[in-house]
Amino acid sequence: MTALRWLPWAALALLPLVLHSNFILTIFIFSFILGMTAVSFNLVFGFTGQLSMFHAAAFGIGAYTTYLSVSLWHVSFWIALLPASALTVAISLVVGAICFKFKLKAFYFAVVTLAFSELARLVVLNWNNVTNGTLGLMVLDKPVLWLPGAGSFKIDGTTAWYYFSLVGLMLTVLVCAIVLRSWIGRCFAAIRLNEDLAQTLGIDIFRYKLLSFTIANILAALAGSLYAFYTGYIEPSYLSIAQSLDIIAMVLLGGRTSIVGPIVGAFVLTGLPHVIELSAEMRAMLYGLILILTILLMPNGILGTLVGRRRAA
Amino acid sequence: MGQLLIGQTLNGVIVGTLYGIIALGVTLTFGITGIVNFALGEFMMIGAYLTWYLVDLVGLPFPIALLPAVVGAAGCGFVADQLLFRFTRNNLVNGLLVSIGLISIIEAGALLLWSATPKDMSYVLTGALQLGAISLPKMKLVVFALLAAVIFLTYAALSRTWMGRAAFAFAQNAEAAMLMGVRTARLQSAVVVYSTALAGFGGALYASLYSLEPAMGGLYILKGVEAAILGGIGSPIGSLVGGVILGVTEAIGSIYLPSAFRDAYGLLFVVAILLYRPSGLFGSDR
Repeated sequence: MTALRWLPWAALALLPLVLHSNFILTIFIFSFILGMTAVSFNLVFGFTGQLSMFHAAAFGIGAYTTYLSVSLWHVSFWIALLPASALTVAISLVVGAICFKFKLKAFYFAVVTLAFSELARLVVLNWNNVTNGTLGLMVLDKPVLWLPGAGSFKIDGTTAWYYFSLVGLMLTVLVCAIVLRSWIGRCFAAIRLNEDLAQTLGIDIFRYKLLSFTIANILAALAGSLYAFYTGYIEPSYLSIAQSLDIIAMVLLGGRTSIVGPIVGAFVLTGLPHVIELSAEMRAMLYGLILILTILLMPNGILGTLVGRRRAA
Repeated sequence: MGQLLIGQTLNGVIVGTLYGIIALGVTLTFGITGIVNFALGEFMMIGAYLTWYLVDLVGLPFPIALLPAVVGAAGCGFVADQLLFRFTRNNLVNGLLVSIGLISIIEAGALLLWSATPKDMSYVLTGALQLGAISLPKMKLVVFALLAAVIFLTYAALSRTWMGRAAFAFAQNAEAAMLMGVRTARLQSAVVVYSTALAGFGGALYASLYSLEPAMGGLYILKGVEAAILGGIGSPIGSLVGGVILGVTEAIGSIYLPSAFRDAYGLLFVVAILLYRPSGLFGSDR
């Protein structure tokens, strides 16, 4: 079983050796980075049971802050991740504290986080002299990495980014797995299953919800930084509602009951529309159709359905 | 200044009643089926484009074109309900995602059919009423009157007719309503279809004032949800009041404050309401 769990990762790590198509590897890179976002979102949605709509905002805040730190203070990408994380933590704590202090649940929590997410987008959109408004920013830098044996080099080109984003995804999964297997994860589950009971058992609901929200947002912010430096471009639509909804769709598509489920969703939603040659309109239609069919036919998501079948058999 | 203020307030009221009619659909659907139909904005867009098509290309007069446009939007709503929403009752997240998938499909369809170029319908009613220094465009007054009338009629129907009381009963206790002989499945479908008809009606009137584009629905559904929360989920009059408050806040806010943030003023209002009075202005405390 453990071996089986490592097999897909090993296969992914070996893939560029066999497959030389830049087109397909690029789809993988996008899937990995969006997969990071989806996995982290699932921490707060699938495992703590809170439908946050703030995820795209965290993604965008991470992207913008990392780039702006690099360009304003001339620090390296790695150092720039610190102010990005710090800002995300600060904002998450404020937004989360407001929502959880007032005990907002389900739909209401979604609406208030959505409102804050829109406020963040409007700030980014209108703070022209810093964020360059609707035009967005060009990210010309690439992160420099030092590896024993290889020395320091720029992460550039498809294969380098493939491994970089794969490691990012693995670290995200690792962090989520560590958190969820500890007592923290059990508190999250208790809150998801029965909030009142969890409170009666002495679990500080406010603290653990805030923790879940903040960890998920930091991970999303890091994914945003990666995305910005990979694509070389940042625009306000990173923080859009559509982006949040895409992430939710990936999670539900892949399956919200497992840590890695959302990655499957990220692959399907990123890959499928590109694999089939279609016009933009037909692509949007296909996207909608995939979404609707999975929700109606596979309510546990792709991975959930597969695993459920195997268990039933 | 006074003139600008009054003009902006009037505009805010008109846009606000449009938010209100979408909010009414949101509130009814949420109360009876437990989901938020985010695709309502798309049914509004369908109603608007059908009206434009019937008036400008077929050549029907506007009042006659209204009926087929609303029926068309409701027909699409019926199909969507039977194929999709029927399976997502009382499942907020699934309903949300199914409606998002539907948005994607309808919007792409509209782009294919009508392209992204904005369409302007020919004027239905020109001229304005002069009240001293203030001029009120006639069409805007008509739109306001029609939308407000539909919202009040819906309210009256909900409180006076058997079907309306059945809906209220169902929202309070589904099982008890079922035992009292309410055909629940039919009631839920009827409410979903009625909300799409309302959205289509809003869209048809929208077409007489503003230019149309396939993406127009997105803004209105967001405002509709905000207005529904502001007024209180479950309250028809609340959705009208919520919509008008939202519209006027935005219109007046953009005179005195940077207009780039106009979408934010309403949101701040909604957040404040949710934090201090979660049942909304007109909602009953539970």
